[in-house]
Amino acid sequence: MAQTYRQTAGNNAASFTLGRRRRWGGAVPYLFIFPWIFGFLVFTLGPLLFSLVISFFDWPIVGQVHFIGLGNYASMFTDDPLFWKSFGVTLKFAALFVPLNIVVALGLAILLNQGTRGSAIFRTAFYLPSVISGVALAMIWSWVYSGDYGILNYFLSIIGVQGPDWLNDTKWSLVAMVVASLWGQGSMMLVFLAGLKGIPKDLYESASIDGAGAIRQFFSVTIPMLSPTILFNLITSIIAAFQQLTLALLLTGGGPMKATYFYAMYMYENAFKYYKMGYSAANAWFMFLIVLALTFLVFKSSEAWVFYEGEMKRKPQKKSKSGGKVKSA
Amino acid sequence: MKKKSTFILLTTVMAMSALTACSGNNEGANGNVGQPSGGNRSAETKTLRFATWDTGDALKIEQDIAKKFEAAHPGTKVQVEAYADGFDQKMAAGFGATNPPDVMYMWDFPTYHRSLEPLNSYADGDQELNKDDFYSGLFNYATIDGNLYGIPAGFTTRVVYYNKKLFDAANVPYPKDGWTWDDFRNAAKKLTDPSKKQYGFGVRAENDTYDLQGFVWSNGGSYISADGKTIDGFMNSKETADAIQLFGDMLKDGSAVLTGGKGQQSGEDIFKGGKIAMWESGIWPLESFKQAGIDVGTVEMPAFQGKPVKGVVAESALSIAKDSKQKELAWEFIKYYVSNEAIKMRVADLPVRVSVVNELKKDQDPLYKPYYTMLERSDNTPAFLLNAKWNEINRQLSAAVEAVVHGSKAQDALNQAVKDSERYLK
Amino acid sequence: MKRLLVYALLIFISLLFAAPLFWAVTTALKSPSELYLFPPKWIPTTWQFSNFAEAWTIQPFTLFLKNTLIVTLLSTIGQLVSCTLVAYGFARFEFKGRNALFLVVLATMMIPWEVTMIPQYMEFNYLGWINTLKPLIVPSWFGSAYYIFLLRQFILTLPRELDEAATIDGASKFGILARIIVPLMGPSLILVGVFQVMSCWNDYLGPLIFLNDQSKYTLTLGLSQFKGMFGVDMQSIMAITCLISIPPLAVFFFAQRYIVGGIANTGIKG
Repeated sequence: MAQTYRQTAGNNAASFTLGRRRRWGGAVPYLFIFPWIFGFLVFTLGPLLFSLVISFFDWPIVGQVHFIGLGNYASMFTDDPLFWKSFGVTLKFAALFVPLNIVVALGLAILLNQGTRGSAIFRTAFYLPSVISGVALAMIWSWVYSGDYGILNYFLSIIGVQGPDWLNDTKWSLVAMVVASLWGQGSMMLVFLAGLKGIPKDLYESASIDGAGAIRQFFSVTIPMLSPTILFNLITSIIAAFQQLTLALLLTGGGPMKATYFYAMYMYENAFKYYKMGYSAANAWFMFLIVLALTFLVFKSSEAWVFYEGEMKRKPQKKSKSGGKVKSA
Repeated sequence: MKKKSTFILLTTVMAMSALTACSGNNEGANGNVGQPSGGNRSAETKTLRFATWDTGDALKIEQDIAKKFEAAHPGTKVQVEAYADGFDQKMAAGFGATNPPDVMYMWDFPTYHRSLEPLNSYADGDQELNKDDFYSGLFNYATIDGNLYGIPAGFTTRVVYYNKKLFDAANVPYPKDGWTWDDFRNAAKKLTDPSKKQYGFGVRAENDTYDLQGFVWSNGGSYISADGKTIDGFMNSKETADAIQLFGDMLKDGSAVLTGGKGQQSGEDIFKGGKIAMWESGIWPLESFKQAGIDVGTVEMPAFQGKPVKGVVAESALSIAKDSKQKELAWEFIKYYVSNEAIKMRVADLPVRVSVVNELKKDQDPLYKPYYTMLERSDNTPAFLLNAKWNEINRQLSAAVEAVVHGSKAQDALNQAVKDSERYLK
Repeated sequence: MKRLLVYALLIFISLLFAAPLFWAVTTALKSPSELYLFPPKWIPTTWQFSNFAEAWTIQPFTLFLKNTLIVTLLSTIGQLVSCTLVAYGFARFEFKGRNALFLVVLATMMIPWEVTMIPQYMEFNYLGWINTLKPLIVPSWFGSAYYIFLLRQFILTLPRELDEAATIDGASKFGILARIIVPLMGPSLILVGVFQVMSCWNDYLGPLIFLNDQSKYTLTLGLSQFKGMFGVDMQSIMAITCLISIPPLAVFFFAQRYIVGGIANTGIKG
């Protein structure tokens, strides 16, 4: 990426700037990111390393601590059906939730971006669920989903459909959880909305002069211009999906028959119900590495599909797609 | 190239973390320098931390008790720490970081006893406490290997609640002590009206196996052998399986409704809505049933034909943390908390002292009497006191019970649970 | 015709999102005997506004509100300042280990709190911060990965010519950030502010773990006092939920127009 700089700086023909950067370039960036580095070292790294260390121990919160080497990891992979079960549930949830979340949030954002009247009210309505705290949220959903007395089945019965007991039905409970999670997409929608507003209007104008219809415009202007935002929402969705706990904890307790027993819930129960802190730490590190690997893959792939205006080579009058981004050496 | 820079980065990070670790120490030292002013103040007024899981009115009463204790002990502040639903997490954090409250509510002694102060030497022969005034047997639940780790503060047995209005409407006589499960099931069938979404009984989707022990014992079964070493032939015995199958059967014939799991519309909610005629639980929901305007009655558990009814006690006790630095004060507080005066203030709890019950004639109030008759029937030892690995075994058992309410055959599910649990018994 | 469709869709979806909250409000207003009727009653026969006052005073909620305001305000300012600096650092500089470090930033989002909770508790305990508001405020001043990531993505969409022009004019890096970048970041900064207010306002686990004494409690912790181990006071929960949702909703309502005000309405064309 250094190449980008030299080129642009060269264009400005300012060897003076170049010298200045040489003198200051070394320390300045670190000064800007120093707050995070400090915070990371003081508040995050210690606890993180601690959890790594205890994952090699048998640590029942109360009582003796033993070193057991890889014992936790070994029994997790070979001797604990719940580990695989809960991991599978979380994968299934993520596979449903991540794409839906992005499509729904983007769809709602586009709908709100139509320049209608009263958009402030609509935006606030769409965001409403995101200000409700978890305890109340769970109650609201239990009222919606209840089999005999729920409002969802009440509306379904009006159109002549006999709904299941959503949260106590092994076939439906995970779907119900996905829908409940989508209800709180407000933040993601907002990020998309801000991104949409940031797309310069003249791009659409020149596209329509070129004869592109609404759908062409969406794919050739909206999506590429929105790609940094999509990357952000994709990664945070993946993380959210893997960490999904609150709803399961408050609404289903992982049931029925472990159908909504998320990995995070499994980890949580190992820690706070069975007090196997070392084992739970081992669970956590496994998930941490999985999510890290997924994020890394998404990031690697993003070089092919994410388009950063601020990093593109300036080629006047030519809209560039992925090719505009300079690959780092 | 890239690898090398990552390596350099890593070493820098490590070096910096070492540096900040030092500065962290300084900060800590500064914090300590700043603290003595606070420390001096606490030398004048001692702060006793008291952790409770209670909420709402019960919590308010506990705060009042703490205030009364403060008034009687000048220079003492009782900090009531209400952890509510987060109690287990707070306990884990507090004990894990060796910063637990001084006094806390406690029920899970097998898990926590290593971090609790044995109270035998405090309790034995303490005239004020007067152990003999407590219902006998309550101390057993707080005793591990002969050590007493908690003083009983409240208890409940389980009874059947019934909605008198629904019984009247269906022309079914109110249940009476000494009734059987056949009576129960007949009543449940008559009280069920699918068109009104009204059911005779509610079965929890997620049962605490602890609570089910009463049924199992009543049918002559048990989860585990008396010595705590064997579950095969106990957890999967015919008696145990039949008791648990009862719930599956009632769900299948439609006379019971499956009521929500953890945070969902609970059986209590539906009972309050007048859509369940009978509900099985401890003392907890009684107040809220009355408040919801339900004309509620209580009756002891039904019997299996020809077998004695057995009950299970859920007890809450007060314990002192081993790490507490003011155990004497903590003990004074506990004693006050279980004194006649404080027990009378705690109206939501069933009194643990015989003298208070006699004075208030609680055992003659028809609404409260069943809890005490069930207490007399509660002389079996719960499984979690019998085996140190019960938590693990219980995981399998809970899965089996859940399978039964979702339609599996109890005998098969329990056989599987026994098979899956065997390795914890070695 | 298309307009009409858009409006119909907007109204329908708004109802989907708002209906359950409508139920929360009416639940809070019902008398206890109306709470558990099936099928549920949508409109209470008598409006028990006293339920709100009762729920608010059963525990010292005014005090909880004060604590929450302190935490929210201070931590939001902290996040805005620190994340802007850090995001700018990651977005606009080439430096050794930048990508690796940024991956570490992202990685911190993925750490499950279950396992870091106890060591963190130990650390704050060591610093003497347990049962103070500090653990809820101080870390915010060192940036949170989610916001750093968000702001970085926004800064990356700003054309670099801006920086370069200012550099030629002799502005320092900090000057560029303060005078060129931050004004353009307005909407995204408000977005971060809103997110932080929301997450801080509704944070349950942080306060639960780090606070002991009721005098330090925040609103959500107060709210959870209605949900005990053995029973739930649904009416009070709904009443308090309605009341404590008002400030964040108001914040959102006033902030949203700035968030969508447009980032690139600056005359600079792509």
